Amino acid sequence: MNTKLSRRVLLQGILATTTALATMRAFPAMAQQSGGTLNVGLTYELDTMNTYSTGFLADAQHTVIEGLIAPDKDARYVPVLAKEVPTLDNGGIVLSDDGSKMTITYHLQENVKWHDGEPFTSADVKFTWEAVKDPAFIAESKDGTQDIDSIDLPDDYTVVCNYNTVKPNFASTLFTFGIMPKHLLEGTDLNTSSYNETPVGTGPFKVAEFVRGQYVVLDKNTDYWRTAENGDALPYLDRLVFRIVTDSNTLLTQLQSGELDMAVSVPYGRASQLEGVEGLEIIVGPQLSWGHLDFNFRNELLADVNVRKAVAHAINRETLIRVQGGFPIAIKSLVLPIFDLYDDATPEYAYDPAAANALLDDAGYARGGDGIREKDGKRLSFAFVIQSGRADDENVQQVIIAQLKEIGIEATADNKAGVAYREARYNGGYDLIYGRWITSADPVYSTFYGSEGENNGQGYSNPELDVVFARLENTLDAEERKAAASEMQRIIAEDLPAIALTQGVSVIAKPVELKNFVPNPTNMTNFVDTKEWYLEG
Amino acid sequence: MSLGFIIRRILGAIPLLLGISVILFVIIQLAPGGPLDMYAENPSVSKEALAQIAARYGLDQPVPVQYFMWLKAIVVGDWGYSIRTGRPVLDEILLRLGPTLQLGGLAMIISLIIAVPVGMISAARRGSKLDGTVTVLSFAGISTPVFWLALLLQLLFSVQLGWLPSAGYQSIGDGSFLDRLRYIIMPASVLSLATVASWSRFIRSGMIDVLNQDYIRTAYAKGRGEKAVLFLHALRNAMIPAVTVIAVDFVTIISGAVITETVFAWPGIGRLFMESMNGRDYPMLMGLMMMGSLAIVAANIIADFCYAALDPRIRYD
Repeated sequence: MNTKLSRRVLLQGILATTTALATMRAFPAMAQQSGGTLNVGLTYELDTMNTYSTGFLADAQHTVIEGLIAPDKDARYVPVLAKEVPTLDNGGIVLSDDGSKMTITYHLQENVKWHDGEPFTSADVKFTWEAVKDPAFIAESKDGTQDIDSIDLPDDYTVVCNYNTVKPNFASTLFTFGIMPKHLLEGTDLNTSSYNETPVGTGPFKVAEFVRGQYVVLDKNTDYWRTAENGDALPYLDRLVFRIVTDSNTLLTQLQSGELDMAVSVPYGRASQLEGVEGLEIIVGPQLSWGHLDFNFRNELLADVNVRKAVAHAINRETLIRVQGGFPIAIKSLVLPIFDLYDDATPEYAYDPAAANALLDDAGYARGGDGIREKDGKRLSFAFVIQSGRADDENVQQVIIAQLKEIGIEATADNKAGVAYREARYNGGYDLIYGRWITSADPVYSTFYGSEGENNGQGYSNPELDVVFARLENTLDAEERKAAASEMQRIIAEDLPAIALTQGVSVIAKPVELKNFVPNPTNMTNFVDTKEWYLEG
Repeated sequence: MSLGFIIRRILGAIPLLLGISVILFVIIQLAPGGPLDMYAENPSVSKEALAQIAARYGLDQPVPVQYFMWLKAIVVGDWGYSIRTGRPVLDEILLRLGPTLQLGGLAMIISLIIAVPVGMISAARRGSKLDGTVTVLSFAGISTPVFWLALLLQLLFSVQLGWLPSAGYQSIGDGSFLDRLRYIIMPASVLSLATVASWSRFIRSGMIDVLNQDYIRTAYAKGRGEKAVLFLHALRNAMIPAVTVIAVDFVTIISGAVITETVFAWPGIGRLFMESMNGRDYPMLMGLMMMGSLAIVAANIIADFCYAALDPRIRYD
């Protein structure tokens, strides 16, 4: 009996060793390793798995569904379900004879299957447009649906969108966010459909389980249509789990205990706590958001460009960054450096209180008894609005108030909550206002600084700039756009309707073994391209 | 306790709940911010879009109109739709009620198991070192912040020892009784801390009152042992004042689990409340607060009934 058992154990041992050796031999030949689960912490409540309905970023959702194109790490569009990004050069975009309309043609990948095995076709793209446009569907954004008059489907793999306008930023809306399966959703009520819990997509991961308030489990799509360059089947990871952990203390504890492997939004003030945690590394990624100080032009003192320039010279961005944990990045243009349209030659107002004082002296603003400047009996005293309850913003406000005081300008905190803040911002209920904008990969700047801009609450109007906006936002010609964007940045920097201060960043904690992860700065989230992520070792 | 009393007591709760609902509605409206806050930094959500969303949820109406719209819906059994998730308020609440009842129930059991004997022994040995120690510990328990204790336990049992999961409800794909027990034990212990402390004080003082009564002296005189006197003669009467507190505290445990549930990522009512508050989800907040008020009113009525059942001397007309 004993002998028999020993022999069996021995045999098993030999078998195991052989397998292990064989595997070890196989590893060096493989570029990446397959398998493994990645546990990701979400700091917000996952409200729905439908990317068109959520008010939050759609981190988990973008691993499941795919769009025709997607922004990459540099906020440039790359093809996904479309074979190429339509442009004027490749014939994907055609302008009407009078240049007032355009037609965009997408050629689709032909070997794509939905998670249920049905083929993906052009009909799904048209259905997505119709479904999102439908007034009965409560969507987070219907942006872009109204710009399309009709969609023609010459065959299963060609989509022709007939626009009623020329829209250079077409890519940042609609089809980029994801395509919905017509064969499953046609005739259903999208507001109450089970699609909102378990969406069927074409992406590298499938929804295995969505438990409200707890987690969503995403399993590898073994039938995924894309392969790696070396021929490997994708995705590499077996499983992605998004766990909802809204308390930042607990998030940190779980990263330390190994219950979570990754978090993409570590609070600025807490990042240092994760230093030295074994197996974790901290990455700082850019984000398409910028902090800005705006002036209200209805106040005649602020309508004086000398005052605005003095304010610009008085603010030390380094201090602003320091009070925000050292994370944001100083900027000088409202176009973030990551964009192709950014022009590094944009004029800059260096921190220079002496220059600020000189500007105000020359313009006739003399210091009064309390150190605050005045001219013709009018004091340089302003109401300074921010959205209350945001610690970072409040710190920034305090710094700016102190720095303005140095040059004889009084700013008084007038913080407003929620609706009141937005009311003030839209209607100009402030003298100075600080806030942050978060944009897509293709922002429209006229909304902020155009005379008729939707988000221009400051009463700013510059006909010269309006002409530049018209050029920038109605042309598809890359060179023309670049030239117009440079012109726009120069005018805004010189005329200063607002001062661009800092760019936001995302602080990401990830396992050291996770490879091929590249932070994505866009609203398509860091999870827009997970297919080649793998765990090493 | 007549049927008439029960019906009168329940009917009497209706105007009370109506009054509560008006107050809650006004408080929510007065709170800074609103449901559209989440769009504050997003420039692609235009003024028009905001107006449309506001109109869809009736947020553009005057506050009294909004209140009556809400009241009308509630009366016909429609609790409205969450602004944040778009799902029916009642569905969301029911989904989260189970985990909360489990957590609150276990916390209550832990509290009773510890508080009753501790309170009794403390009373029987009052003035002793043991009594003094219990008193100090009770006050320490009442004054310990929940999030601090939670963090401490998480660091000890999850990060250092690795024995228990630091947060969550159950393992993915498991959900067996033992698995859930591993998840619930820390939050339930934390949640029971304050109640253990306050209930043991209540039972101690109730016990002291009872132990001074003549019938207890009689029981001792008849030669009954201490255990028998304490458990058979004194406990029932000592529990009477504690019952009301316990009944009402159970509701407090459930509605007060906001911090515990958030810290332990427990998918219950408390966290739903927190999320709804952060998102200024008016319909959800009203639903949750009305549910809470309903529970408190119901708990008070039940406490009254229990009181009458425990003490035959108490009679209602």
